Amino acid sequence: MNRTFKIGIFDEEGKFISSIKSLQEKEFKIYDVFTPYPVHEVFHLLKRKSRLPTAAYFFGLFAIIAVLAFLYYTSVISWPIVYGGKPFNSFPSFIVVTIVLTIFTVTIASLATFSARSKLIPGRENTIFDHRATDDKFVIVVNTDILDNSKSEQIATLMKEQGAVEVLDKEFENINA
Amino acid sequence: MYNRKIRGPLVEGNKTFSQISKEILAPMETTPGLWWYIAFGISSLAAIFGFYAIYITVSQGIGTWGVNNSVGWGWEIVNFVWWVGIGHAGTAFSIFLLILRQRWRTSINRAAEAMTVIAVMLAALFPALHMGRVWLAFYIFPYPNTRGPLWVNYNSPLFWDFIAITAYLLISISFWYLGMLPDFATIRDRTKSKIKKAVYGFFGMGWTGSSHHWIRFESLSFILGGIAAVLVVSVHSIVSTDFAVGIEPGWHTTLFPPYFVVGAIFSGFAMVMTLMVIVRKIYKLTDYVTDNHMDAIARILVFISLIMGTAYSTEVFIAWYSGNEYEMFTFFRNRITGDYTFQFWGMIVCNALIPQLFWFRKVRRSWVGLLMVSLFINLGMWFERFNIVVTSLSKDFLPSNWVSYDPTYIEIGVYAGTLGLFAAAILLFFRYIPIMAVSEVKSVANIGSKKED
Repeated sequence: MNRTFKIGIFDEEGKFISSIKSLQEKEFKIYDVFTPYPVHEVFHLLKRKSRLPTAAYFFGLFAIIAVLAFLYYTSVISWPIVYGGKPFNSFPSFIVVTIVLTIFTVTIASLATFSARSKLIPGRENTIFDHRATDDKFVIVVNTDILDNSKSEQIATLMKEQGAVEVLDKEFENINA
Repeated sequence: MYNRKIRGPLVEGNKTFSQISKEILAPMETTPGLWWYIAFGISSLAAIFGFYAIYITVSQGIGTWGVNNSVGWGWEIVNFVWWVGIGHAGTAFSIFLLILRQRWRTSINRAAEAMTVIAVMLAALFPALHMGRVWLAFYIFPYPNTRGPLWVNYNSPLFWDFIAITAYLLISISFWYLGMLPDFATIRDRTKSKIKKAVYGFFGMGWTGSSHHWIRFESLSFILGGIAAVLVVSVHSIVSTDFAVGIEPGWHTTLFPPYFVVGAIFSGFAMVMTLMVIVRKIYKLTDYVTDNHMDAIARILVFISLIMGTAYSTEVFIAWYSGNEYEMFTFFRNRITGDYTFQFWGMIVCNALIPQLFWFRKVRRSWVGLLMVSLFINLGMWFERFNIVVTSLSKDFLPSNWVSYDPTYIEIGVYAGTLGLFAAAILLFFRYIPIMAVSEVKSVANIGSKKED
């Protein structure tokens, strides 16, 4: 089944924000918004949160343990060699390698998580509701599948009242996002 | 908060968003002028000379260099440290200024990161060649092997260096690429050419600018920025331990890690300045990289220059204060006076004295002044590394080992080659990748402009 959307297009950040607020006041659920740069107020209004920092913390914890275990295994258990009379487990000089490899692991793992979670993969084509959103327009998208005509008209009027340059109706067969 | 009356708008000329996309992407959408082809030709010639020198080095061995038993590290390590230093520009610029929320970085960080990636790759070339048998370079990886397994020596700064440079390179590339995603999407959605749409669409990874993308993007930028900031400090500290754990007079000092890190940021910022002075002129991007931005970099440089001056005098003072005759000899007979006086005083004049011109507003506001001073800093930082590497090695504890060192044309060729590759890569970058982070510039377009008042 095709899914239908009302798409409001704004050319100013202020009007765009006030439109989100007025839609939320009337308890319309906003499907998503698209902006040319990050707008922090949107994150609060749409209650967007990212758990990436938590994930990164655990990647780091895992990396520290894994790297230290690897260094201990190779230099104490697998093939111990005495370098300049230092103990096999010469912990202080392991710290440098541990820090650098931890940073490395956190970076790669966070990037992979970001890519998987946001579905941003080379060559992927996510649904573009309005192609001007990456240039200079702020776009609000409301899903109107379960709304009757009068309700969707109300959305359009609300957006226009707040200063939308255009309000479009679009249908998509399936959404990649 | 940002005070417009003092620091001026971040983007001049009250631009609309689509104007910003258009102007910044203009160098990619138009065919470059004749100057581009000439510059690319010259840098390619230098690169070809470099490839020839590398061919000779690899096929005949490092006996073709001027290095010898006493001066085992010559131009290659000088150039390695020099390039790694320049490679600190991008991360120092975007990451420290990102964490400190200095938003004037937005128009400069992309170019600075591009320089970082290219410079670090070129830097990594030198130690690899210096191994002699470069095809066995993989021995430095700690991997399970049939020789024992014989693992690498984790106590050695040379191994730390390898790990640090590799990690730094990969992280710089990730950070650089992440920042480009929104811009690739902008190009994809604006262009009419089918090939461009396909190529930038592929690399844009399906970015749409949705709120889900942006919040994770911002969060990831801060994670990468936060942890890479540690790396910026640690990479050059590790490079400095290559020297500091050696017992050579002039190397064996605890001052080295901070001294190297500050020096790296100094040369990195100088290279950013050299590049931006030229770029903003040629591509007419003075509205984005404003005079105030250049002024801010100049202020940072004059401050770092003072730190460098302090570090140089501390080194000399400690050599005298330690009472160690070898240290005394190295600093007073082999650097301040002696065979390598020119390099020593070149370093002092270029790094500690000439940047003091930035105290004058007139110099900070003139593009010739900015360009000249930044070039002198680049030169001075090269002298500094030469001074450290060659003077200490040429005359150490045993006078019977004393040797002078001159590079051969092969060594000069490798260096010229890296300079050529650097210039060629930067020129390609101008043409195929947005010079500035378009989305970030848009986010600061109204800060401090008249629209906000």
